[in-house]
Amino acid sequence: MISREVCRRVLQRAASTGADYAELFAENTADHTIRMIANKVDSIQDTVIAGAAIRVYRGLRSVMASTVDTTEAGLLRCAEQAAEALGQGTAALDIVLKERLFGDIHPVRIVPVTASNREKAEILKAGYFAAREYSSEISQVSGMLLDVDHKILIANSEGLYAQDRQIRTRLIIRAVAEVNGENQTGVCSPGRRMGLEMFDSIDPRAVGVHAARQAVTMAGAGYCPAGVMPVAIENGFGGVIFHEACGHSLEASSVAYGLSQFTGKLGEKIANEKVTAIDDGTIPNAWGSINIDDEGTPAQKNVLIENGVLKSYLIDKFNGRRMGMPSTGSARRQSYGFVPTSRMTNTYIAPGEDRNEDIITSIEYGLYAKEMGGGSVNPTTGEFNFAVNEGYLIRNGKICEPVRGASLVGKGSEIIQNIDMVGTELDMGQGMCGSSSGSIPTNVGQPLIRVSSITVGGR
Amino acid sequence: MEFQAFKEIVIARAAALGITEYELYYQAGESTEAGAFQHEINEFSSARSGGVCFRCIAGGKMGYASTEELSREQAEAIVVRAADNAAVLESEEPAFLCEGGKTYEALALKPYALPETETLIRTVLDTQEKLYAADPAVVDGCQTEGFCERNEIAIYNSKGLDLHYENNLSGLFVVAVVSDGTEKSDDFQIKVGKLTEIDTEKLVKKAVTAALRKLGGDVAPTMVCPVVFNPDAMTALLATFSPLFSAENAQKGLSRLGDKEGTQIAAPAVTLVDDPFYPESPMPIPFDAEGVPAHRKNVIENGELKTLLYNLKTAAVAGKESTGNAAKSGYDAPVDVQPFTMYLAAGEYTEEELLQKAGNGVYINSLGGLHAGANPVSGDFSLQSAGFLIEDGKKTAPVKSFTVAGNFYDLLRKITAVGDHVELPNANGVTAFGAPSVLVEQLSIAGK
Repeated sequence: MISREVCRRVLQRAASTGADYAELFAENTADHTIRMIANKVDSIQDTVIAGAAIRVYRGLRSVMASTVDTTEAGLLRCAEQAAEALGQGTAALDIVLKERLFGDIHPVRIVPVTASNREKAEILKAGYFAAREYSSEISQVSGMLLDVDHKILIANSEGLYAQDRQIRTRLIIRAVAEVNGENQTGVCSPGRRMGLEMFDSIDPRAVGVHAARQAVTMAGAGYCPAGVMPVAIENGFGGVIFHEACGHSLEASSVAYGLSQFTGKLGEKIANEKVTAIDDGTIPNAWGSINIDDEGTPAQKNVLIENGVLKSYLIDKFNGRRMGMPSTGSARRQSYGFVPTSRMTNTYIAPGEDRNEDIITSIEYGLYAKEMGGGSVNPTTGEFNFAVNEGYLIRNGKICEPVRGASLVGKGSEIIQNIDMVGTELDMGQGMCGSSSGSIPTNVGQPLIRVSSITVGGR
Repeated sequence: MEFQAFKEIVIARAAALGITEYELYYQAGESTEAGAFQHEINEFSSARSGGVCFRCIAGGKMGYASTEELSREQAEAIVVRAADNAAVLESEEPAFLCEGGKTYEALALKPYALPETETLIRTVLDTQEKLYAADPAVVDGCQTEGFCERNEIAIYNSKGLDLHYENNLSGLFVVAVVSDGTEKSDDFQIKVGKLTEIDTEKLVKKAVTAALRKLGGDVAPTMVCPVVFNPDAMTALLATFSPLFSAENAQKGLSRLGDKEGTQIAAPAVTLVDDPFYPESPMPIPFDAEGVPAHRKNVIENGELKTLLYNLKTAAVAGKESTGNAAKSGYDAPVDVQPFTMYLAAGEYTEEELLQKAGNGVYINSLGGLHAGANPVSGDFSLQSAGFLIEDGKKTAPVKSFTVAGNFYDLLRKITAVGDHVELPNANGVTAFGAPSVLVEQLSIAGK
């Protein structure tokens, strides 16, 4: 990677027009995906991503320039561009870089990039054929094994010189079940911030079975009814409700600009008192975990909401300036080409005290959302949506027949008041979260919860 | 290292390893963006990006390897990696590279000069002021961003293909935020074109008017009724479900249209076109990702599925010609199938006439969560929506936070009337989508 001395020269050049902060971010990433479809290993995508970005601030103005040329000459040119774009001014920073070692709280035993294609294909095949062989109704299966080896270097005018290496592995199996000429799908996609040893604790075959079971269940399901009703949302990926309904609106990228419905509400009760929500980038080997964020701030465990009271936002350095608040270790970017901003890591609703059976029996007529899909939100209005991949009707406190094709919609500030029962068994699910700084790995999580009233988009 | 020098090393390395069938796909770009908040430029960025994908046929299989680092070391490494990667593949489908010597249609749109940074910044600030001036309800939070980019694609292969393409693109986008004191709403509008030719007044007015209309709306009632989608909403649906027209998906059982060519799959009012040379497309392209000449085709004509979209491999499997629809989701991605500029052709009705025909129902001008609430394999959708009620053939009260649900295959058959004006609001990578307003005779609305 780039030496401390080269970094110093580049930062000094970047700050030559009066920047009060300068930062260099460089990466070298090996990105590898094996895909299967129609029972065959079908393609391998194998990419080296390499480049650097330089950011300078002056007050509330930020300039970034990025390049694929990471030679000293290329970086100096890039620094020059950033300095020029910032405008006229005189150099005011004397930069001394000290190396900082943050250690690795996410140990990796088998580095995927060093394993053979065949070894990885065997793991993928185990998951793939478990789905294929689950039922004669399974008409197609596709699968992917992804591994990423992301090496980053961050140096800034505050004296930081640090490196980190983020290794992630993920298996995705999608199954299609065909019944009476109609297709329904199922998916299972566990991921970890670890190497291939991930499959010592997660059986790839169970991943395939999970996807296939869901597809077959949904193929036999009728349409979900439409209307406002109570919904019990299962643990794991069910946590996407907090991610969309509230999490994005706590990001400094909307709070700093007064856009979020939660701007200026620190210390106020914004959610039901049953809700305690946490964003924790330090969970060992979890999908959304980091050692340091993409500005070099160590990962933190941030309590966002405690018993319904807003405690913290998710803050990066640049937006933190506007808010007058320090970074919470939340700056993230997909790669050097994206301007980093405040994002989530592993975000979850903490366990409560309600028993699962009490939550289900409390619902006379409603929906049990066993598996959720993705969603989205507009932080300005708070309106959010997310999809139910596998749902069941609840009648008289009992889980009944499966229903398909539903999504849940609502306004974040209202829905988090409606989370009025929280179970005891926390679990997390893995997703890729898309926003202005690109697509990044995040965990969502919660125990089983009850939302007393929400619009169910059935038909 | 420049691409030409990198290419020479790759060619030599391939020859040394006895690899005779290969392709280099190069994509590079430069972009500049400036964003304003509260009357000042607060973010500015410039990026140089680019990468090379090498793919080769080894043992009848197509292996890929890519890099953004143009060095001698990487030039030699990607050849070895691609051949290694081919060795583990099992698919028995044929692997092809495009033959050279084909004729390509000239593009009407020539790369235009991109604005100087000063012009970009001035336009962004000026547009920001127009946003604040547009209405007293406009509040802080409004964003204006200008962008310009230069894109370049080159394909070189061992069969004599040596193609190059360049496109320049600039544009503006605005987010208008309005408040009535108790509630905030916003709207996003984008316009691609030469900055000096964009009517910023009109762009700002469109965003502010749309944001104002969203204030105070109620949740729609739960019902089954006729729905009019405006061009934005219809385009979003079309873009989401466009993978159904891919022969790759059809051959893999991920679309139900595999055996439907030549049959009626939609109402007679529906004609769906894929036209890489569509005059309003911001990024026409003369060749696809394999180097096959791009051309215009009707995918659906008066309700009949005329053709799926093919690349070289899927065409060979089906015993047909490629429709020039090979595409990559990134320079490093395997070749797949995508439309270029896909739009629903105009019908004969004004929007007023569509509303009259609907009688009582819902007019939808915004759909959310398409990546989650729509399933491109099953065709099912349940999507967060906003718009207006239609009462006695007229748009009345604004409504929001409701869903519209149905199935896209079914929707194609239920389009009873099509508007007379196509808009092209959605551009993503090299693919653009467009549609007029349409009337769907019956869909499910879930609200209060």
